Amino acid sequence: MLDVRRVQKTFNPGTPNEVRSLKGVDLALVEGEFVVIIGTNGSGKSTMLNAVGGSFFVDAGAIHLDGRDVTRWPEHRRAGMIGRVFQNPFSGTAPNLSIAENLALSARRGRRRGLGWALRGDLRSQIHEVVRSLNMGLETRLDNEIGNLSGGQRQALTLLMATWLKPKLLLLDEHTAALDPKSADQVIHLSGELISRDNLTTLMVTHSMHQAVNLGERLIMMHRGQILHDFRGAEKRRLRVDDLLGRFEEVRRADLLDETAAEMLRRKYV
Amino acid sequence: MSLLIGALTIGFILSLLALGVLISFRIFAFPDITAEGSITLGAAVAAILLVNAWSPLAATTIAVLAGMTSGAATGVLHTRFRINGLLAGILVMTALYSINLHVMGRSNIPLLKATTFVTRAEEAGSFLLGGRESLNLFGWDVSTRDLSVLLFSLAVALLVGAVLYVFFRTDLGTAMRATGDNSQMIRAMGVSDGNMIVLGLAVSNGLVALAGALLAQYQGFSDVQMGIGMLVWGLASVIIGEALVGVRQLGYTVTGAVMGSVLFRLLVAIALRWGLDPNDLKLITALFVFVALILPGLLAKVKMSKAGAAHA
Repeated sequence: MLDVRRVQKTFNPGTPNEVRSLKGVDLALVEGEFVVIIGTNGSGKSTMLNAVGGSFFVDAGAIHLDGRDVTRWPEHRRAGMIGRVFQNPFSGTAPNLSIAENLALSARRGRRRGLGWALRGDLRSQIHEVVRSLNMGLETRLDNEIGNLSGGQRQALTLLMATWLKPKLLLLDEHTAALDPKSADQVIHLSGELISRDNLTTLMVTHSMHQAVNLGERLIMMHRGQILHDFRGAEKRRLRVDDLLGRFEEVRRADLLDETAAEMLRRKYV
Repeated sequence: MSLLIGALTIGFILSLLALGVLISFRIFAFPDITAEGSITLGAAVAAILLVNAWSPLAATTIAVLAGMTSGAATGVLHTRFRINGLLAGILVMTALYSINLHVMGRSNIPLLKATTFVTRAEEAGSFLLGGRESLNLFGWDVSTRDLSVLLFSLAVALLVGAVLYVFFRTDLGTAMRATGDNSQMIRAMGVSDGNMIVLGLAVSNGLVALAGALLAQYQGFSDVQMGIGMLVWGLASVIIGEALVGVRQLGYTVTGAVMGSVLFRLLVAIALRWGLDPNDLKLITALFVFVALILPGLLAKVKMSKAGAAHA
C-alpha cells in the first residue's frame, strides 16, 4: 500500500543549521497494516510522517501510495488518499467554523467542492450519528464553534474527520502527546477502534513506550534518520516496555562511544 | 433630507466595498490594498463602456470581471511567487494606476450624458410614481430621483449580501472560510489553500470593483484618484459593523458590514455638516481605524491589571 524507497531529506542544506533528517529510509506497508514508529528526539520519525503526508518534497528517493508515485504530489493532492491527525490538537480543525461545518468539510476530503449546500439535510443527520458515537455529548452542540472545545474533544473530532472517507493511509503524528492523560487515553482508544473497524493502513508516531508496545502489529525504531529496528509478528507481540528501554539504552551507549572515540582520535592526531 | 438620502445611498454602494474587505481582511486576515486600485478599475471600466453607449448591466459586469482579475493577480503573486501579501497588493495597486489611466484615456470621465443604472432607476421610479417630481415622505419633500436611486442601491447591497451569505454556506465557500482559519487543516482535507486565496481575493476585488462601478454611476464621473484611502474606509465599515452586531457569526458579520458602511457614511456626513474640514477626513478615518484596532487589546489589559489589583 505504502512504499517508501531510499528517501532522504536535509533541512537548511549548506548552512550551520544543516540537519540530515532522513538518510535513505526504506519502508513498505501492506494493506491493513498498523505500524508504530518510535524513536529518540530528532530521530526523523515525524519528518518521515511529514514526508509521506507531503508537508515537503524529499531530496531523493520515491514514495508510492496505492501503486501511484506521489513523490512530487503536493500535500493537498495526497490528502485525497491520506487522513492525518497532527500532534497539535488545534491543527486539525478550523476553530471559527462549527463542529458540523468541520465534519462537512471532511465528508468531501479530496473531492471536488462546488456550489452545493455544505450542510445538506442527510449529511447533517449522518454527522449527528457519528458525533454521538463519541459519547462526549457533542451532538447537541453541532452548531457551536469548534474552537470552544477542549484539545481532547478536538482531537477526537479530527480523528473522525480523518477517517470519515476511508483513507488509503492514516497518519497519526504523536496525536496524544499534547493531551492530558485522560483525554489521551480516550483518543488512543478511539484510534484503535476506528483502525480495526475499517482495517485502516496506519502509520503512527508516538513517544509513549506504552502505546508502542500495546498498539499495532509492527514496531519501527528510528535513530538519526535511519530505521534501527523493525519488530514484526511474534517478536513485536513479545516486546515489553523494558525491552524497548533496553534498546534505547544501547543506542545511547553507542552514541557515547562514538563521541568518546572521536574525542580520543582527535586528541591523538589533531 | 437629501443629505441623509445621499449619505445612505453612498453607504449602501460602499457596503459592497466593505463586503470585499470583509473577505480579504476578516476571512483570510490579508490586508489587501489591491482594493484601492480595483475600486478605481471598476469605475474606469464601467465609465469608458458607458460613454461608448454600452448597457449599464454589461458595463458593470465587465467592471466586476476586471476587478476579479486584479484580485486574482495579487493572489497569484502572493501564493505562487511567495511575495508578502501586503507587498503583492501594493505592486498590483501601483500597476493598476497606470492601467486605469490607459482604460480611461484621461484622468477623469464625466458620465452626465451616458445612460447608467442611475438613469434607469430614475426612469423606473418616475414611472411607478406616475411622473411626479417629488414625494412627501413623513413631512419632507423627497425628490423621486434621489429616492429611486437609494432604493436601487439598497436592493443591490441586500442582493449581494444574500448571495455572499449563501456562497459561504456552500462546499466551496465553507472551504474558503476554513482556509483563512487553518490552512494546514484545509490542505489535509484535500484543498489547495493557494487556489482558495486566489479565488477569495478575486471575489473580494470583484465586489470592490462593483462598488467602484456603481459609485461612478452615482456621482456621475470616474476619476483616477477615487481609490485613495478606500481600504481604510472599508476596514472602518467592517469594524463598526462588528461592533454593531457583536457576534462573529457568518450571517451577522455580512449584515454588520453593510450596516457599518451605512452608519460610517452617516457619521461622516454629519461631521462634514458640522464643519469638519473635508481635507481632514482621511486622517480622521485612519485614526478611527487605529483606535478600533488597538482598543480590544487595551481593554483586555485594563481588565487584567484590574483583576491583578483586586488579587493583590
